[in-house]
Amino acid sequence: MVKFVVGGQVEKQNIADLIKEVGGEDVEVTVKSDLQAANDVKSGKADYYLGACHTGGGGALSMAIALLTRAKTATISMPGKPPKEENIINAVNEGKLAFGFTGDHYEKAVPIIVREILKK
Amino acid sequence: MKIVIISLIGALASIMANKGIAVFNDGLRPIVPEHIEGRMSRKELAATSFAMSFGLVIGFGIPFSLTASILLIHSILLGTDIIGTFSPDGKKGLAISGIVGALYGAGILLGLESVVKAFEMLPVNFMGSLGEVGAPIVIAFAAFPALATGYQYGAKKGLINLGFSMLARQIAIVVSPLAIGAVSINVNPEGSALIVGMIILIIYAVREKSDEEAVDLVSVFSERVKRIKKNVPYLIVMGALVAAATSLNLMAGDPISLNLLSEGKNIDAGFAALARGIGFIPLIASTAIATGVYGPIGMTFVFVVGLFIANPFVSAILGGLVIGIEVLFLDKISKLLDKFPGVRKSGDNIRTAMSKLLEIALLVGGMNAANAIAPGIGFFVVIGLYILNEIAGKPVVKMAVGPISAILVGVLANILSIIGLFTPPA
Repeated sequence: MVKFVVGGQVEKQNIADLIKEVGGEDVEVTVKSDLQAANDVKSGKADYYLGACHTGGGGALSMAIALLTRAKTATISMPGKPPKEENIINAVNEGKLAFGFTGDHYEKAVPIIVREILKK
Repeated sequence: MKIVIISLIGALASIMANKGIAVFNDGLRPIVPEHIEGRMSRKELAATSFAMSFGLVIGFGIPFSLTASILLIHSILLGTDIIGTFSPDGKKGLAISGIVGALYGAGILLGLESVVKAFEMLPVNFMGSLGEVGAPIVIAFAAFPALATGYQYGAKKGLINLGFSMLARQIAIVVSPLAIGAVSINVNPEGSALIVGMIILIIYAVREKSDEEAVDLVSVFSERVKRIKKNVPYLIVMGALVAAATSLNLMAGDPISLNLLSEGKNIDAGFAALARGIGFIPLIASTAIATGVYGPIGMTFVFVVGLFIANPFVSAILGGLVIGIEVLFLDKISKLLDKFPGVRKSGDNIRTAMSKLLEIALLVGGMNAANAIAPGIGFFVVIGLYILNEIAGKPVVKMAVGPISAILVGVLANILSIIGLFTPPA
């Protein structure tokens, strides 16, 4: 069972629903404020953090960067830069714990992230 | 005067980005301390900043500025983020970022004016029709508190809010102008709907109780809060400049108030900016406290000052004051938000609601504008481009597709008319 928390700023419920849809029985998902969510990963209550905002890095990841350090976070999409599958695979394999993307791109980003994490 | 103000804004914003005092892009803010504290090179910081901001200047800031012929602040401050992060460290960087920033500010203003003039000289002048892009926003913006309520508390409560907001709008139309003794007051319909919607949202939000222990951000990051407070003089000057520029109708802080301002509806624009600012408090406060880096225009209330107050000098004084108060009470604001988790959440929902609303309103506006420029071709091209953007994985920010497509249709109409394939509508 992999525990996901959804932080970030936008599309939270949709992201959580999509994680559940992709991960099914293998995942547990909770939606929290970005601060609580990042803190949960830091304290080990959750395994991975996903979040979206309009820039893919600001509201989505700022709390995660502040609490987990930037080395544990990855911005995988930005405005005008849709997510690339290989970047996501690399980020997951490098051991990143928090992933940020734009609200525009969550439908494409979330399934790849969840699939790669479950492969580990 | 206009050029001087914009150049000063460009210079100061670039210097603040260079010294890591403030950056506009919320996504860049958490990266800046990585450089200041020595974990990231200047070069890497510059590359990240360029990647994050350049697309938004071209795809967001510039198209909106063109359709309304007023500068959207994004086109200046995302550029100054890039200039500031690209300039070297130390005194040299200070000088370079200041000079390049000033030139950039002036260049954006003159560039916008000359593009608008050039468009007006084309055989098919589409600048008038381009204004249609903003038409749906001018009315529909007042729905966003109801939509935010819907996001936070479900469609049913959202619908209740939408009903009351609409009622407030219609009552305002019927009773206006309101005569009290010898004075008659114009009651603003959209402003009334917006205020009623916000009140209902806030009532729901403050009733929400916290069910988990809050993380005390301020004590975890006390050093970083001190750093922001130390830099308050820069921010006060910036706030004064931006408030003055806004009161001169030179710029606006978001696409909604931009379009309202271009229709001469300053008061509506002020209300919209105020409500949007409330939505941004939690985001700006938490990213600022966690990073020690502020936003050059803070929580965006400086725009509210500029929109409500027509005198640029009074605006400047109040604008500086407002941003100064924001910074000095930053920790208090954050602690207060911890007591009302519903309000913190509604910040997220207000921003989600605004961007959804803009997506639809700007798509419809873009279609109407394109079709006014070139009947038939307009609908064909805008709908086609919108869906192609979806298929391509949204390389263009969704809400900018309408305005960009409308501009493209204008250019296309001119090309087609030159080669004899298009006759402009009479």
